[in-house]
Amino acid sequence: MPLSLNYLAKRLLWSMLVVVGVAVLSYLIIVLSPGDPAVKWAGNPRGANASLAIELARKELGLQDPIYVQVPRFVVNVLTGNLGLSIFYKQPVFPVITSNLTSTLELLLITYLIAIPTGVLLGYFSAVRRGSRVDDFIQQLGVLLANTPTFWLGSALFLVLVTHEIPSSGRVDYVLAIETGFQSITGFYLLDSLVQGNLRVFLDVLVRLLPPALAISVYPMGLMIRVVRTLVTEVLLEDYIRVSVALGVKKRRILWTFTLRAVMPGVIQLSGIAFAYSLVDAMVVESVVFGRPGLGRLLIDALNSSDFRIAIGLIVVVTVFYLVVNTLADVVQALTDPRVRL
Amino acid sequence: MNRRLTLALVVLALVVGLTVFTWMRQLGEPGERLRVVVYAYNDVITGIDPSLEDDTGLVVLGVVYEPLLYYNPVTGIFKPALALSWSSNGDGTEWVFKLRENVVFHDGTKFNATAVKVSVERAMNIYRETGRGLGYVWDSVEEVVVVDEYTVKFKLFYPQRLDIMASACYAGYVFSPSVLERSGANSYTDRKLEEWFNLGNAAGTGPYMLESYSSESEVRLRKFERWWGWSEVNNPRAPDVVIVKILTEPQAQYNSLLSGVIDIATSVPRANIPNLISRGFRTYNLTTYHNYLLFFNVKRHPTSLEDFRKAVLHTIDLDEAVSVAMGGYALKGSGVLPHGFPGFVEGLTYKPNLTWAREYLMSSGVETPVRIQLLYQVDYEETRKFAELVQSRLRSLGVEVELYPATWTQLKDIARSVWEDPEDTPHIIIADWWPTMASPYDYLYAMFHSESKEWNFAGYENPAFDELIEEAYELEGSDYEHAMQLYREAQQEIFDKAVAINLWDEVKPFIYSKRIYIPPEAMNPLYMYVIRFEVVSVEGT
Repeated sequence: MPLSLNYLAKRLLWSMLVVVGVAVLSYLIIVLSPGDPAVKWAGNPRGANASLAIELARKELGLQDPIYVQVPRFVVNVLTGNLGLSIFYKQPVFPVITSNLTSTLELLLITYLIAIPTGVLLGYFSAVRRGSRVDDFIQQLGVLLANTPTFWLGSALFLVLVTHEIPSSGRVDYVLAIETGFQSITGFYLLDSLVQGNLRVFLDVLVRLLPPALAISVYPMGLMIRVVRTLVTEVLLEDYIRVSVALGVKKRRILWTFTLRAVMPGVIQLSGIAFAYSLVDAMVVESVVFGRPGLGRLLIDALNSSDFRIAIGLIVVVTVFYLVVNTLADVVQALTDPRVRL
Repeated sequence: MNRRLTLALVVLALVVGLTVFTWMRQLGEPGERLRVVVYAYNDVITGIDPSLEDDTGLVVLGVVYEPLLYYNPVTGIFKPALALSWSSNGDGTEWVFKLRENVVFHDGTKFNATAVKVSVERAMNIYRETGRGLGYVWDSVEEVVVVDEYTVKFKLFYPQRLDIMASACYAGYVFSPSVLERSGANSYTDRKLEEWFNLGNAAGTGPYMLESYSSESEVRLRKFERWWGWSEVNNPRAPDVVIVKILTEPQAQYNSLLSGVIDIATSVPRANIPNLISRGFRTYNLTTYHNYLLFFNVKRHPTSLEDFRKAVLHTIDLDEAVSVAMGGYALKGSGVLPHGFPGFVEGLTYKPNLTWAREYLMSSGVETPVRIQLLYQVDYEETRKFAELVQSRLRSLGVEVELYPATWTQLKDIARSVWEDPEDTPHIIIADWWPTMASPYDYLYAMFHSESKEWNFAGYENPAFDELIEEAYELEGSDYEHAMQLYREAQQEIFDKAVAINLWDEVKPFIYSKRIYIPPEAMNPLYMYVIRFEVVSVEGT
């Protein structure tokens, strides 16, 4: 068994410590910086009793307690998933976060469906035909993609599509959604529209997802091309590949089965690392260029309004998600690569 | 083998393709054609409690709920909303409102005098007990009496223009008393009721009812067919569905407008407006009561010196400020109150004159070079541009301005510290204001009364000024013109002492698509983002 329970337990413990550390640091940074959340919680009171309202709000938020009391209490609330109501939106914190998280994740899912297979295939062909013009071209393309500013590409794509009246903004055409009775259940519009058998909405959602996904996919795609090329080149020079060739194993089998299996763990590992970068890219491009809801806008609004509950809840959720993705990447690597034992 | 596999794949692709084609054709014929308007709003919704919401929630509340009256401060004309007629006794201490009959709330319950009593008392009592909300608009109210099912009487502590207060949208909306049972709250002041509203529940009488609510992304409103006013507005092309889409980035609004996702934009980069017009989009420029003010910290040297403040003000050219910071979408400010607002005074503006500025600087005794700080809101592009302009112009006077950008909550926190720690509060603060109610008291009390420690960013204390505006406020009920005169005197005082100036009143350009028509009566300068969608016309989709 390449996986031990001991490793998983340790990993879980470390992950929890990371989450606690992130929560404590975020709380200290946000609460100790200027901007009194109590003013917002009290509703920006204007009348003669404004000071009274702010004082009561401070008590309700527990901000009048010493910081050494506030921090552990907040951490316990985070770990028990009890962050209460958002100071700004006056709605429960986690539903607000998840409704935006699903939008960003749906976008990232399509991004990775574009970036990973394309990047792997191009990198693979580049390695197989190394030294050729095709190899040169793919390598240059990899460098170009990995260094293209996502924001610029998103804006350029948007302008081109708008000129040709192709829908690219927002998550769905409202009129279409209303007329066809589309209802979001999970927050993943592609899934929801498929479950409801609403193909028109499905296609509309997909068409609107593709431009931002394409823009975000360039970095992981470029990275993947370069890394996969290196990995495949190394694998092709391994002794067992030479032996296989000598033994007369079919070329197709060597290239598609042996080689691809050998580079897969590296691809999985790289995908986990690139995820964090893509998340940041998505947070910028989705709202500013394509007018989509998502985590980026939510975080900026939360910080601007000193809504520490949303801001920290969001940071913790993203941290947990990142830890889960990377743990999964390690686990899958251990399961697919016999050299790795966890 | 391979040939068979290829054949099977081709057949499978044909079957799937045909199925999808048929499916799409079926879905291609929607059951109903709706008039949908997508209205892009440039802020998130901070709550939809009709009694307590004090901020952006008004954009939703304004179409879901109704007050007793509507008031146009420009014309001074009242329009019946839920009250058909109203009158007061001789000294303005008792007001009687005759209510509309046959009005129903969105939940089907009947509107009556009890609903008015419950709604007013909720806003009033929560404010009196906790200071929360804007229930101070009912400050003068001693008792709300249900005379009969459709008559309600207000007994006041002191004379007051209650017709103006009754037209306040903040704290003035009427909700169905049935919300108590539906929310499971123990009383109307129970926090549970507030949470219930803010979770996306509503029970108003307005032309649109709340269908779904997501404060950070979108709010969906559907036409309320049983609204009493449809026969009066006679607009068969009113939207069936209104979607308030939250798009806080101007660039995102611009992009969404271009791609047809939204119909009405409230905030696009001003430089892009000509491009939109050339593409066939329409504009509506609304002169609003949203104004931007410059406050001096009067408790800290050198802005504690009146002559130094005047030197600064004579260096700033407000025409230039309107052009540079607002791209021309503003009216040059005067006094404290915005143009057209009751009590507005024309001509209370410092003329740009560097010679006078130098004379004032000399008489202030402040030696140059001197360094001062200016605090402004970082996410308002206009305040950033204005701050940079001030920095550049004051350099010619030998005054170095250190810019201090902050988010809104940070700015508020830093600015109000003028009362506790004036030496650590910047010398100049740029902030904006919009009215809660159509009374100058709303501006003058909040920003200059010595008891208003939360919003008096200048740290200004003057008992004579306090008395003056309090007297004016009480006179509003019995001698309105005299009250306005006192408000004008109060502004003169602020101007003479150079405590603060109104920089500009915003002109808000609404950009909208050709398939929409927004008549002037749809807009309200008092609550600029509230559009009366019942009078907006939409072409069928």
